[in-house]
Amino acid sequence: MPIQVLFFGATADAAGRRQLNLGTETVTLTTLVASVIREHPKLAQHKLQFAINQEHAAGDETIRDGDEVAIFTPVSGG
Amino acid sequence: MPIILAELDRLIVKPTVDFCELTSLPIDIGGAARRAVPPECGATVTLDGYVRQFTNGRETLYLEYEAYEPMAFKEMQKLIDHAKREFEVSTIGIVHRLGRLEIGETSVVISVAAPHRKAAFAACEWLITELKRTVPIWKKEVYADGEQWIEGDHA
Repeated sequence: MPIQVLFFGATADAAGRRQLNLGTETVTLTTLVASVIREHPKLAQHKLQFAINQEHAAGDETIRDGDEVAIFTPVSGG
Repeated sequence: MPIILAELDRLIVKPTVDFCELTSLPIDIGGAARRAVPPECGATVTLDGYVRQFTNGRETLYLEYEAYEPMAFKEMQKLIDHAKREFEVSTIGIVHRLGRLEIGETSVVISVAAPHRKAAFAACEWLITELKRTVPIWKKEVYADGEQWIEGDHA
């Protein structure tokens, strides 16, 4: 199972996609985000927040095979 | 006699349950409010949040809302669970609209029923503040001359 990366709203526009599958190597969230930003540099123009498996994440968590990672800007619902 | 049965059905006090929903259809505000009316309560406070035409002097034509839906449900449920621990309230309902919304259309409804109104007002205020901070939903403002995804204040 790959690591699935999801984008929403501003990050989907910046990345030009809504989803990305990465290899199955275990990485930290920080490393994963850095590599996604290298591929999609416009993401660096935004303040980014993250979720792992649909839970808010801080940045130093470990991502494993099959995890779902979401990259988004601070939420603006309501 | 069907009429009598219908009348009885209307009069029977039914248990109410918490609810959270995402919908691309217009929200029935009164319907949502009346779903949160348990018999042990005396007041339901309902917030009707809707699309503002002018933000910081700039005119919005319409809004588009997008959600990370499975996570949004989880976060809304966490807010409901937390509010029920922290406040003296009985039933909570949250409904958020997604997709395109015109000026004045309702984007969010939060209904809180409590035995006494003060707890319902306090919980409703807490719920909308936390929803805007934690629930993964984003809005795009569309103007005559462009558009912009709004990024929340909270890091």
